Amino acid sequence: MDLATLTRQLRALGEEALPKIAAAPDVATLDELDVAYLGRKGGALSSLMRGIGQLPVDDRPRVGVVVNEVRQAVEAALDDARRQTADAALAARLVAETVDVTTPGRPIARGSLHPILETIGRIAEVFGQFGFVTYEGPEVESDATNFQMLNIPPDHPARDLWDTMYVDIDGGLLRTHTSPGQIRVMQAETPPIRALLPGRCFRYEAVDAAHASEFFQVEGLMVDEGTTLGDLRGLLDEFAHAMFGAGRATRFRPGYYPFTEPSVAFDVGCLVCGGIGCPACGRTGWMTILGAGMVHPVVLRHGGIDPERFQGFAFGMGVERIAMLRHGIGDIRVFLDNDLRLLEQLR
Amino acid sequence: MRVPLDWLRDYVDLDLAPDALAERLTLLGFEVKGLERWGSEWRNVVVGELLTVEKHPRADRLSLTTVRVGQGEPLQIVCGATNIAPGQRVPVALPGALLPGNRAIERTEKMGIVSNGMLCSGDELRLSVDGEGILILPVGTPIGAALTDLYGDWVLDVDVKPNRGDALCLVGLAREVAAATGAVARFPEVRLAEDGPPVTEALAATIEDPRLCPRFVGRVVRGVRVAPSPGDVQRRLLAAGMRPVSNVVDATNYVMLELGKPTHAFDAGAVARDASGQAGLLVRTARLGEHLETLDHVERPLSAETLLIADASGPLAIAGVMGGAASEVGESTSDVIIESAVFDPVSIRRTAFRYALRSEASLRFEKGQESRLARIGADRVAGLIATWAGGSVAAGRIDTAPDEPVRARVGYRPARVNRLLGTSLDADAQAALLARVGIESEPSGAATTLLVAAGPTPHGVPVTPGEARDAIVPSWRRDLLVEADIAEEVIRLAGYETVAGKTPDTAMPNVRPNPLELRDALRHALAAAGLTEVVTPALVSPSQAAAVGWPVGAAHGVPGEAAVDGPVVTVTNPLSERHSVLRRGLVGSLLDVLALNERHGQGDVAIFEVGKGYAKAADGTPAEWWRIAFLLAGATGPAAWNRPARAFDFDDAKGIVELIGRVLGLPDVAFAPHTDGAPLHPGRAARATAGEGCAGLVGELHPSILASWDLRAERVLVAELAIAGLAGGQLAPVRVAPISRFGPVERDIALVVPEPVTAADVAATLRSAGGDNLRRIGLFDIYRGTPLGPGEKSLAWRADFAAEDRALTDEEVDAKVARLVAAAASAHGARLRT
Repeated sequence: MDLATLTRQLRALGEEALPKIAAAPDVATLDELDVAYLGRKGGALSSLMRGIGQLPVDDRPRVGVVVNEVRQAVEAALDDARRQTADAALAARLVAETVDVTTPGRPIARGSLHPILETIGRIAEVFGQFGFVTYEGPEVESDATNFQMLNIPPDHPARDLWDTMYVDIDGGLLRTHTSPGQIRVMQAETPPIRALLPGRCFRYEAVDAAHASEFFQVEGLMVDEGTTLGDLRGLLDEFAHAMFGAGRATRFRPGYYPFTEPSVAFDVGCLVCGGIGCPACGRTGWMTILGAGMVHPVVLRHGGIDPERFQGFAFGMGVERIAMLRHGIGDIRVFLDNDLRLLEQLR
Repeated sequence: MRVPLDWLRDYVDLDLAPDALAERLTLLGFEVKGLERWGSEWRNVVVGELLTVEKHPRADRLSLTTVRVGQGEPLQIVCGATNIAPGQRVPVALPGALLPGNRAIERTEKMGIVSNGMLCSGDELRLSVDGEGILILPVGTPIGAALTDLYGDWVLDVDVKPNRGDALCLVGLAREVAAATGAVARFPEVRLAEDGPPVTEALAATIEDPRLCPRFVGRVVRGVRVAPSPGDVQRRLLAAGMRPVSNVVDATNYVMLELGKPTHAFDAGAVARDASGQAGLLVRTARLGEHLETLDHVERPLSAETLLIADASGPLAIAGVMGGAASEVGESTSDVIIESAVFDPVSIRRTAFRYALRSEASLRFEKGQESRLARIGADRVAGLIATWAGGSVAAGRIDTAPDEPVRARVGYRPARVNRLLGTSLDADAQAALLARVGIESEPSGAATTLLVAAGPTPHGVPVTPGEARDAIVPSWRRDLLVEADIAEEVIRLAGYETVAGKTPDTAMPNVRPNPLELRDALRHALAAAGLTEVVTPALVSPSQAAAVGWPVGAAHGVPGEAAVDGPVVTVTNPLSERHSVLRRGLVGSLLDVLALNERHGQGDVAIFEVGKGYAKAADGTPAEWWRIAFLLAGATGPAAWNRPARAFDFDDAKGIVELIGRVLGLPDVAFAPHTDGAPLHPGRAARATAGEGCAGLVGELHPSILASWDLRAERVLVAELAIAGLAGGQLAPVRVAPISRFGPVERDIALVVPEPVTAADVAATLRSAGGDNLRRIGLFDIYRGTPLGPGEKSLAWRADFAAEDRALTDEEVDAKVARLVAAAASAHGARLRT
């Protein structure tokens, strides 16, 4: 073996390998060629390199250069071919995996929260920003707590405002409003008081699109040394704007409740016609959303609060009324019907 | 109250348009709920002049008339009435008219002759109650004029609040209009010619209990001729919503609407007299066993509390509520006794409720009556009867309490009024406002006590001289009792809209826990898990409550959230049997919701409710408690093309219970068999508990319950749970466990056990045998079948072992697993499945 022969054989090896590598159809063939040419044991290059030992010492480095040239060329060809094959396989896979992206997704079950309680939550959130705290009271009340403590004596004509359902418990009745909670909060707390009392109420009232025998109210109570009718007006304006939009017109007018003096009815500009007048607002342009007033001194005293030192206001609103206006619901009966076709719209 | 503006103008000048007046009254506290054009129904009804009236050629009972209704040709109209004659002016409904009751008038043929409209009676137009003949209009009524222009009127429907009985009349509302507009209200002129002998010869009155009848005024009119009232009176009453009856009865109703003073007219001929011919009226309560046939011709047994007007032979009328049929004024009446009294408001209210007879009169009496009006009302009614029905008014009145009370004084502090209202109106400005409703004011005299609270527990405060003023209240204002009432008058007259709003700047209250926190956390979690929240009526039918029979009681509660296993609370005056008892549990209501939605074709239902149960406690007091309940029926999740449909099953229900436990940070939920049967499937029901934080039943409904609700669903899963803190508790902050640096070693252990052994029992055994290093043990498979024997099952568990401070070796873990297997073998006869 001489230098020239070995060099020629090495170069021939390279020339033989490169086309085969280029033509290899897949990674497995490339792996076979890799072993066949470059394998440490029995690879063609290794076999040829055994001849190096027979060369004169001076020639050996020169053959080494050739060996490296050939090895690098084959390795580069193998890497290149491997990359190209992998790229092609990936491209083929991506094509094969194509789906119809226009089909709907897999739906995720999502329930909904009831509009009555969500509306209560929204009301509480607005008043909560002014420091109002939520309290609750019982639904089975007594004549004393539902009426007498609120300055409505037995046989008072004002009782006509609350048709009442009585129960088979001595003096017991189903609360007609959340107002008994005023007394409970005043008895439990000392001013300053800012309280909200949401809850279920009952009236002996024939059910139609506008009237329910079971409904929900939110009562509000604020008592302090300098709480005025002006505070009530300001707060209710903020509330109306938060619930019905910043530009909503509001109106403050006299109302009547035995437990407030002065008493207030609070109107907002009609949500249907915007104030021009339409059937929804009785052509007045206004919709009444709540009743309110300055807590009557008799009621403050029943709550254990000195009416000379403290004064305050209370308000009460029908939750369904607010929810109907906010959601465009025309019939109060839907709230306790729980037709899922309606409730599921409120997700 | 219906207020015809034409009538109101008798008492106050009006130069406002009806809608503007309505707004002013509303802003003054008299909300106008409706504004109606009375007579708008008389479209195409005009005044005609009868030119000819002849017999109809083919019908004896019909007349053939020609009527001039204006410029054009006279109209030929066939008419059935007999009271018509040429030259009369009559209302003519032209073709196209639509009369009250939706009666359309067309050109018709009557017995072969064309009739170009209809001549109308008063009743057909609702312009009077006379239906006998054609309404003959006054001479000089303009021919061709539209009837609605002649007689139409605007009628306000005013909501008079219960404290303002004084304004439940035209004069009272005229005063308010005057206060709003600055006009002067006019009281009707009471004209009375007393041309008969003294009333005392004809009438005497005795009051048994002056507390029930503080004042009784009587008058007598002799020789009346009972007939229909004048047309304009009938029109006013009709517009105000009252049916005219006769001139005498109409006079009492007219005065009730005008002055707010209910009176009653008796046929004097029906009242027992003594030997001298004097009729004796007695105001007394009913005696045992007495009866009275009232004006509505109902024979009523009278209870002892009922206040009566009676004579020597028995009851004549229920005082203040309704007259008696026997003494009713009718066509044969010649002498009339007028009763104008003040009765105890509470007595009248109770009586009206007792007999379910809440009349216009009782509504006014129960709000309290001004004493003065007893006298004025008697005079006014007598004067109107004499004018409309003739007769002579006996001289003088019977009057049991002629001294009229002086006007009340109510102390108020102008500074205090401002403090309440947030206004800065000086004392003079306040006085000027009060004067607009006739409240005079002057500085209080010496130091005095000022009333701030009236009623059963009055409360006064001392005031210093110069601090307070006295409001001298008009006799009719019975609602002004304390300082706050005066403050309301001040701001009412200044206008509520003048109150300047501001946001509160006083001290904030102390922080308080939100009682809804825990409920809201659960609500949001369940909605996020796909359940829809419902809110259902608390009042249910007794049969619904009984049909579910969900167990209630302390055993089914958790500490602090116990329910009472007592009788249901029953409504004594329910609207309907369907809503007559308070529910003890929520499941029945959820079944009602399922039934309703199934009827709408929506059978896939996943709903929950957080609500109350109610019952009577052993001591008779009401008990209320909070529960959360849910119901699953039909398919899980929304239908989709890319997921097979699956029906809800028991495991879904248990999963929701576990979710609730996780949201609340409770120990793992344990399920124990609940085999009591109805309302649940005895083989698919469990008692779920999570420490002391949650307890209740979960399971599949018993098929018999499904049948009794007539449900289509094959299987319905329900649960009702007691949750500690549901009534108002807070969520405890989560305490996190440290995460070990050394990963757990995971082992699967399949244990073959006899079928009756429950997974919960095996899990408990494994947990207690596992020691500290057993971090988690979970069931991941259940297998039955070969090679297992019959009556055997394999429970496959995945166990995680870990130590805080080091990695466990395989040998250590092997030893622990062997211990688990040995424990299960000895406790449950388990063997390792290999």
